[in-house]
Parts: sequence; C-alpha cells; structure tokens
Amino acid sequence: MSEIDSLMQGMALILTPHHIGLMVIGVLLGILVGVLPGLGAPNGVALLLPLTFTMEPVSAIILLSCMYWGALFGGSITSILFNIPGEPSSVATTFDGYPMARNGQAGEALTAAFTSALLGALVGVLLLTFLSTRIAEFAMEFSSPEFFAVYLLAFCTFIGMSKNPPLKTVVAMMIGFAMAAVGMDTVSGELRLTYDQPWLLSGLSFEVAVIGLFGIGEILCTVEEGLVFRGERARITPMTILRTWAKLPRYWLTWLRSALVGCWMGVTPGGPTAASFMSYSLARRFSKNRDNFGKGEVEGVIAPETADHSAGTSALLPMLTLGIPGSATAAVMLGGLMIWGLHPGPTLFVEQHDFVWGLIASMYLGNVVSLIVVLATVPLFASILRIPFSIIAPIIIMVCSIGAYSVHNSMFDVGLMLIFGALGYLFKKLGYPIAPLILAAVLGDKAEDAFRQSMLFSDGQLSIFWSNPLVGSLTTAALLMLFWPLLARGLKALFGTRQGQARHVS
Amino acid sequence: MSNTTDTPLVATRWVEIGLALFTAVLGGIVMVGAVEIGIGWSDTGPEAGYFPFYIGLLLSAASVGNLILALLRTPTMSAAFVGRKAFGQVLAVFLPITLYVIAMPFAGIYLASAVFIAWFMWRDRQRSKPYGIALIATISCGAALASYLIFSLWFKVPLDSGVLGDLVAVVGGSLK
Repeated sequence: MSEIDSLMQGMALILTPHHIGLMVIGVLLGILVGVLPGLGAPNGVALLLPLTFTMEPVSAIILLSCMYWGALFGGSITSILFNIPGEPSSVATTFDGYPMARNGQAGEALTAAFTSALLGALVGVLLLTFLSTRIAEFAMEFSSPEFFAVYLLAFCTFIGMSKNPPLKTVVAMMIGFAMAAVGMDTVSGELRLTYDQPWLLSGLSFEVAVIGLFGIGEILCTVEEGLVFRGERARITPMTILRTWAKLPRYWLTWLRSALVGCWMGVTPGGPTAASFMSYSLARRFSKNRDNFGKGEVEGVIAPETADHSAGTSALLPMLTLGIPGSATAAVMLGGLMIWGLHPGPTLFVEQHDFVWGLIASMYLGNVVSLIVVLATVPLFASILRIPFSIIAPIIIMVCSIGAYSVHNSMFDVGLMLIFGALGYLFKKLGYPIAPLILAAVLGDKAEDAFRQSMLFSDGQLSIFWSNPLVGSLTTAALLMLFWPLLARGLKALFGTRQGQARHVS
Repeated sequence: MSNTTDTPLVATRWVEIGLALFTAVLGGIVMVGAVEIGIGWSDTGPEAGYFPFYIGLLLSAASVGNLILALLRTPTMSAAFVGRKAFGQVLAVFLPITLYVIAMPFAGIYLASAVFIAWFMWRDRQRSKPYGIALIATISCGAALASYLIFSLWFKVPLDSGVLGDLVAVVGGSLK
C-alpha cells in the first residue's frame, strides 16, 4: 500500500541521531511545561516557535509535536501525584488518579496512565496514517466556498458544542478574528485597523495572545486560588510496571471505547478536554466496578488518558489535511507551519510529501520515546513541583516575557502579553473560552480569503454556500451545529414529556 | 474560588458588565476602522473593510447580549467575583509584572529579569526558612545567564539588553 511506502520513507528520514535527539529534548521540555503551573502545551509550543525559524521544517515539527506529547504526559503526572491538572485535558484523570496515589498505588496509576496514553495515541496515529491521504485527495477538489464552509463548520461546532455560554464563545472568537484582521490586508495589500499607530502596522501575533492568555492569565488564577502542593510520593520500579501491564489487557473494551471517543472528538473540534470527560463518564456508566469510581479505580485512569491522547493526536488530521486545527495546541502548530512557509491543507500532501510523512512517522516513534522518557523521569519532574512558588513563578513569567519578545523582537509585544494576561484572568473567571480566540486569530486571514473569493464568484450572493450538494451539506451542518444547544433542548423537552407519559402508563 | 472568610470585593455582575462593555467598545472600534477603509464593493470585489466590519458588528452584538444576560440573571451574578484578600494576592503579582514590563526597555531583559526574580524571592520572607542572599543571587543571575546562553548564543535570537546594555557595549567597545 502506498501509505506503508510513504511511512517507511518518513521513518528513514527521521531515524537519524539528530532527530531522535530532538524528540528527547521535545519530550523533556513538553513534560516540563505540562508539569509547571501556568505553562501548558499551547503556550509551550508558542514559546518555542521563534526558536524554530532557523530550523528545517521537519526538524521543527518533530520538536514541537514531541513537546505536545510530552506536555500531555506531564499533565498526567501532576494530576495523579498532586491532584493538580497541569492541562485542562487531564482534569478527568484526577478523579481516580489522585485517590489511587493516596492509597499508595501511585506507581500503578502512573504506569496505567502512561501506557493507555501511548495506546490511545497510537490509535490516533493509525487513523492519521490511513485516512489523511484520502481526505487530502478528497479536499483537493475543494474551492473557496467549500473551504469557507469547512471553516464555518469548525467555528460553529465550537460555539454549539462548547460548555461555555454560546455568546461568550462568539465574543472570544470575534476578538480573535479582529486580531487577525489588523495590519496588511492579504487580498488588496491595504493597511487596515491600524488607526495610524505605527505599532499596529505589523499586526497582532497570535503567539503573544497565547502566551498572555494561557501563561500570565493562568499564573494570576493560580495565585488567587492560593497554591497548595500536597504531593504523594511516587516510586516506579520495573516490577510495578510489569505487574500493572499484566493487569491492563482485561480493560481492552474501555480502552477501545475511549480511543474511539478520543478520535472522534479530536477530529471534530471537540478537543482533548471534552474527550477525556466524555470517556470518563462513559467508563463509569458501563463499568462493573461502578461504585469504586472516584475512590481509586484504575479504569477511571485508563479511560480519560486514552481519550485525551487519541484526541490530541487525531487533532492533527484535520489540521494537516484541511488546515483546520482540532485543538488550541494544533492551532498554534498550524500558525508555525504558515510561518515556516508551508500551506496547511490538501496541497501539503503533494508539495511537502517528506514533511508530512516525516511528521507521521515521528508520531509513532515520538510517543514510544515519550513513554520511556516519562517513566524514567517521573521522580525528577515530581520534585520540580516541590520548588516553592516564589521561585518558580518569576521564572515562568520571565520565560513568557522573553517568548513574547522574541516573536518579533519587539517590546510592544511584551506589553500586549500583559494586557492579554489580564484579559485571560477575567476570561477564565467569567467562563469565556480561550481556544476559539486562538483558533480565530490563526485562521482569520484564511477564512476571510475564502469568504471574499466566494463572494467574488457569486457577486455577493450568499446562496453560493448552497450551490452544490457538498458545500450545501457542509453549510447546513455548520448551521445545525451553531443552533445545536437550542435543538438539543427542544428534543429533550419532547423526549422528556414522552418518557413521562410512558411512566404514567406503566 | 474565593475563601469563605474573605470579604467580597465586587459582585460578579459588575465584572461581567465591565467586560461586556469593553468588548462592545472593542467591536465598535473595529467597525469604525473598517468603515474608514471602505466596507462596500469596489471593481475588484469586496473592499478591505468588508469582512472586519461584520466581525465588529457580531462582536458588539454578542457583547450586548452578554450585557443583557448579566443584568437579568440575578442569583448567580450577586456572588462575589473575588475576595479582598485573594485580589490583593493577584495584584501583588500583577503589579510587579507590570513594573517589570515597563522597566524592560530601559534596563534590558537580562537585568530586569534578574532584579524581578530576586525581588520576588526576597519578598517571600514570611516563610519558615527565608532564602539566603546567596541563593537569591545564584537563582536570579543564573536565570538571566541561562536565557542569554539559550537565546543569544545557542539559537541566535538576540534579546534586547536595553539602554543600560547598550551603554555597557559602548564602554566595552571603547576599552578595546
């Protein structure tokens, strides 16, 4: 099969000491940002971006994607040992992971978490290996209206499916779009929304927003809640690992279900966080040990971790094939791709064959490397969290400032980061989501181009978005997603009354 | 997540209203900017302000929606947004960061960072074992040095050393 050939080529490309070294560095940095409060996968990747400008794209994406895997693993360490989710997507892991650690089963919980994370990620990569070429081929036929409809679908899904209030999601998203519009208009070359201010000429970069919203905002929230690290000790011996592995096969059904949930939520913009919660609640509903959930049930660790990682990896499928990221981190990576001069989307598979397959091959290897590295370094990273906050916080703030500065070598960006930090704190406390803002800031220009070109084709008629079955069904699906909360409420009301009647009859 | 013993500073409603007004104004600014460059059609199709105008419009409309919701929903909105003590802690971190950012163009990233870290550690004296001067100096200077090694030397991304740094460079150059 041609996929296997391409994969082998990719493997040959990445199996060099240089690339394996980059993987280990990426994973270590990733675990570090995953473990530290205030830093997470999205801003870890954003901080590292300016350093990759001089690298080969393949090396750069290996470094960044391995950082992503590392951050996902790092998030589980803090969830299990400290009851502090390092990443939003590992919140569900704390439900049973921390109780297990308190019962003295920290080693088992960590091994189960890491192993199921690896298995979940592998399912995501398999999906990517065998589906991406087909989806890319299919998407090659897309023209501007189809592309805009796909963007619309992504954005509407965010609004309709988000746990946050829809209007707040819209506000966050529109701020992102407005940010993307500042500076030079990509179509006419005109300057816009600069209000004659020289510091607005080069536009507002999404990296600065990521660093401010996630980094500084997170630190401020952490300070307000008053940080208490009460960690459990972890000792992972080879015996613990082997014993846990021997127990794992009996959970194959949980694992399979969680991987499927993860892949689905990763490909659609539900994201890893939604995937891990959903998978946890499904596992609790179907488990034989239902009563033990929340008290330290290993199944309650396996389910969210598998879903989290399979969603994380499969989020790269729409990013590579359609240019639409399925998670905040994937959005930042997509921005990186554009900065390196690559055009995410179906043409990537033809023009940048080596890059795509190098990345896919590195995902197999990178996840295995992650598992080995993370098992070996758990005690080291757990001890980092025991460093007092008054040392770790200023260093994190310094790293964020340097990161914001190095995007354009501009002090203005550091000030902007601070403003976004304050905004991030308010957003977090008032339930405004951050991911849609980032997604819109990265994709704004591309969505606008697609929209304006479609309008050119149709002479300003919106009916072009229903001009053929493909674009019509995409647009309709987008609108359905947008109004999903209302529809769901209507359906529930309908079914609710029916069930009520049925109960009456019986 | 404010403490129960902490006296409330401000009700959530007011913060909600403030943020909604802010985003509504932001939308207005975007619309004004878009109108300036033209939101209609020209010979070459939609003008540059066409798309941003609707972005601004949606932003303002959604903000007004949030504003109305904040005014209508009584029970949840009267809850405290943040306690006095907790907000004091937030300010105790936010204000130093602001000073740090303001000082950066003058003092340069390295010096500002070293002082910032040192001050942060020095302030935390009420802990059972205050940090010694040696530890403070090692960590703050070490962090600045590490950022110099990683960014300037290794990745060749020079960081702004500020007016003071330029002065040192000039003096150093004249000594040679």
